Amino acid sequence: METLESAPSTPSRTTDSKHQTPSPLPPSVLRLWRPHAQRNLRNQWSQLASCKNRWFSASSAGRSHATALVNSHLSQRYMPDMKLGVVSDMPGIRKRACLKLFKRQELQRSKLLVCYKDMVGIVSDMINISRSLKCFSKGSTSSPLLQFSYNSADQSDGGDGGDGGGIPVFTFYSITSHEKFAEELVQMFSLELCLKRLLVLEFMSIGYDTSEVKQLHWSTHLYDDEFKDLRDCNLYCEVTHGPVPPRFRDGKSDIASLRFDNQPNPEVLQVYLTTWLADANIDTLKVNEIFTVVGEEMHVSII
Amino acid sequence: MESIVKKFQSKFRKVREEINRWDELQSCLISQFRNASHIVDRFQLLQNTNNHGVLNCVSGMRDALLDKQIESLSNILVSMRKTLEEFHCIALSLDKIHRDSRQLVNGGSSHLNRKQLQQQVGMKPSLIYCLDSLMFIHEIYNSEYLLKSSVISALSEIALKSSASDLGALQQLLVDQPNIQTEEVQYVFDMIFAEELS
Repeated sequence: METLESAPSTPSRTTDSKHQTPSPLPPSVLRLWRPHAQRNLRNQWSQLASCKNRWFSASSAGRSHATALVNSHLSQRYMPDMKLGVVSDMPGIRKRACLKLFKRQELQRSKLLVCYKDMVGIVSDMINISRSLKCFSKGSTSSPLLQFSYNSADQSDGGDGGDGGGIPVFTFYSITSHEKFAEELVQMFSLELCLKRLLVLEFMSIGYDTSEVKQLHWSTHLYDDEFKDLRDCNLYCEVTHGPVPPRFRDGKSDIASLRFDNQPNPEVLQVYLTTWLADANIDTLKVNEIFTVVGEEMHVSII
Repeated sequence: MESIVKKFQSKFRKVREEINRWDELQSCLISQFRNASHIVDRFQLLQNTNNHGVLNCVSGMRDALLDKQIESLSNILVSMRKTLEEFHCIALSLDKIHRDSRQLVNGGSSHLNRKQLQQQVGMKPSLIYCLDSLMFIHEIYNSEYLLKSSVISALSEIALKSSASDLGALQQLLVDQPNIQTEEVQYVFDMIFAEELS
């Protein structure tokens, strides 16, 4: 509800604020600005909605790969004690089964990694979209041909803040309010991405003998250029030279003592899978509320 | 007479539709119940900090997970109650079909006597058989609805306190549908539509 309060919710309040900070744009320009800004917001919000849907399908695909990975790993672990019935006399059957299960895990690990990579890409897209909600007027305001740009880099001598001086774009919300909504979404998905990263690291380390593979750390690259992508998501800390540690909402985390276990209990694995499923950092009700409020404001349904 | 039997047959077709709908809801209810019991199963696991492995480094994570699980569980319970309400609608509809049929032979212009009710022409069922069968079907489905209703209130009561085995027993009760004798219902339909079958 915090964002709703901070948004100019009544037209009268907006006119007040207009008196205090008059729009730098003359009324004729504003008249032209508004339809452009509206079109831009509609486009960007529908892209944000599609990012959200892409996230949930990537997350659910990731979960099925992780579940398959855990199952193969546990089968492999239990193979020595498994009763194999009639096939137990076949030479090397256990060894071959283990090898097969091991190979399957490698495949599932790489699929899980692809999902994670998708999710990083989605968060980075969301951030780009959330930065493109403004609409700048381009060129001289006296020119009869007005052009608009959604990119602050293109901003020339127009000198406007890209928000039409803070007027409501549709009925109630200014560009700043739209940005706050988008920022709130980005925040939730970014936090969840860090948490998913922790889980991916854990899923990557299970099943290996410690001798076989170097111990994974929080600062291990999961794929080439991962840190570059995380930088795009604001999830790389230049101070610690590593990815931003996972946390829950405003909570803290202590990754100094982080050690990934390569043979966790089945119970622990189940908790990991549940954590993956739960999307704890994403408040589904809040997400739906934001999309509903914004959709109503723009008179389009974005789901 | 002939036309009344025809009318009864169309009532039975409606009954069959309701029963088919019931079966769809049944599988929906079972999957909802399964999801709910998975959450309950996991709940014990999630409460124990020892099971959280590396997640222990993220403070507040365990409570957040538990909250999310409770949230999902209550969502499932809400949708189960909705499903239950649809079962109720079917029971009500079966009751209405039965009452309307009674009206067909007793009320209005046609007042049939006992003999006419028992009369059986060819392979067509007697009217009394039709009436009794409609009542029978309504009764078993209504009792089953009541059973489901109490099972689901029990689930809401004990959800987070009970063990997995209690839930297993409840689930079995939902799956078995002890009040509904499928063979007998099928037999009724075979009798009503004997002509079409032969």
